Amino acid sequence: MNLAFWIISAVTVLGALLAVSLRNLVHCVLALILFFIGIAAHYFLLRADFLGTVQILIYVGAVAVLILFAIMLTHNVTGTDGPREILGVKWWSGAVIAAALAILLKKAILSDPLAMVLPAGDKAQSSVAEIGRALVANWVVPLEAIAILLTAALIGAVVIALEEIQKSR
Amino acid sequence: METIYQILHTTFANVPAWAVQIAAFLIPIAFIFGVYPAIFALTTLVERKALGRIQNRYGPNRVGIFGILQPLADGLKILLKEDIVPRVADKFTHFLAPVLIVIPGLLVYLVVPVAPGMVAVDLKIGVLFALAVGTMSVIALFMAGWASRNKFSVLGAVRAVAQVVSYEVPTVMAGVAVIMAAGTLSTLTIVQRQGGGLLNISNWYVFRPWGLVGFALFIIGGLAESARCPFDLPEAESELIGGYHTEYSGFKFALFQMGEYLAGMAMAGVTVTLFLGGYMGPGSGPGLAGGLISMLWFFVKLAGMIGLNIWIRGTWPRLRVDQLMGFAWKVLLPLALVNIVAVGFWHFLTPRPLAWIITTGWLVIWFLVLTKCNASAKLEKREYRYV
Repeated sequence: MNLAFWIISAVTVLGALLAVSLRNLVHCVLALILFFIGIAAHYFLLRADFLGTVQILIYVGAVAVLILFAIMLTHNVTGTDGPREILGVKWWSGAVIAAALAILLKKAILSDPLAMVLPAGDKAQSSVAEIGRALVANWVVPLEAIAILLTAALIGAVVIALEEIQKSR
Repeated sequence: METIYQILHTTFANVPAWAVQIAAFLIPIAFIFGVYPAIFALTTLVERKALGRIQNRYGPNRVGIFGILQPLADGLKILLKEDIVPRVADKFTHFLAPVLIVIPGLLVYLVVPVAPGMVAVDLKIGVLFALAVGTMSVIALFMAGWASRNKFSVLGAVRAVAQVVSYEVPTVMAGVAVIMAAGTLSTLTIVQRQGGGLLNISNWYVFRPWGLVGFALFIIGGLAESARCPFDLPEAESELIGGYHTEYSGFKFALFQMGEYLAGMAMAGVTVTLFLGGYMGPGSGPGLAGGLISMLWFFVKLAGMIGLNIWIRGTWPRLRVDQLMGFAWKVLLPLALVNIVAVGFWHFLTPRPLAWIITTGWLVIWFLVLTKCNASAKLEKREYRYV
């Protein structure tokens, strides 16, 4: 358990570091996919099999593919290396924002009661039934609100695309 | 895995527990790595033979009796071929893509049960795992197309990504129907729910109105996701040379073929599990004899699905790109959503004949509406002016 945790963590952190430090956009996305899979492996390690699978389905199967698709539809398909600007103003401002966010998140996570309950580890059962029940019983209004929001976004995207098609004709 | 562990533990009582544990881990892995690639090798031969027959020619018949050693000869030939990498290719990504493409196909077999209790990992969310992992091959396809630095390869990759993303949606929705009816995500339990009835056959989900629709959706989605005919646009050899694997030769090309076939067979295996009752059939059940008969039934069904794939490949022409996208979003997705409602009817209407009539009627009406709405405009009579 512990050895697996360290190996997976090393791979995940490596993926995250490569995703922000490589100069080729497509390489960055591929590193990001490695990071996503590492996170999914962490979920599997914590016996959260549903969360891990959904992580693969949504992040690797949809989000990463969407990013790749966006890159392929732009002019710079070959992904020539971007400008090398490490330790510039942008880098420092980004680092400050990231550090502030990390501190805030650490406080939020440690003050949450869930953090105390979690290390059940080996004996934990599959969580998918509880997640489903919670979604359609306790959280049905937020769920439906998100559903309406996503549907509206989908229709909006189609409407925008339709206008462009009509203009080009 | 648990079943294998228990069998080993009771037969070899004096072997230490950790050794039995390791053996119980290794046996399913060896099974997956041994059996499915062997089926892949045989499938290539059977496919070439069958396509030959469909096209009124012999097919391979020179190596061994009936050409049975053809896969071996092919493998040897392809190992000896020169591996050519384009000078401008992105070397690392170009190398990694054929390695990665085999993995998703093999991972899906982890949750496909071949006999009672005989599943490599009995995940509680097995169906979701199979669907999630099955679509990961698209990343390897993209890597191959992009790293080749060839416009045909990139076009093939674009097509592959768009196609897999589009067809993933109706396939998953078709799976949702089965998940709702069975009330579980575990592949083993879904197969058990399809047992019983007349000869262990009448309870297969394909013999329900919603199951038949889901089965059809799943076959179409599976063909599209593994980029097989009639959805083989990503590698359309008449337009794109070879699509994403234009710049691959030698064993890397063989790995692409293998990954493609393994993914197609994995989708066939999932289809068998979800709709054709998995290992259920006359005589299947627990125990050694029942287990062997179950395994036989599973592989017979798998062979049948592979045969169906070959038949479709030999007889259907390739779709156009706009037809491909329109079919997924305008026909398959609404049909899959309607199918989910049909399962709801099936679940809540109490007298079975009433449920049969209403779900069938509901699905037929929607099928007619969807086909009517999507019917292509009638072609006008052609006028040849400059004769």
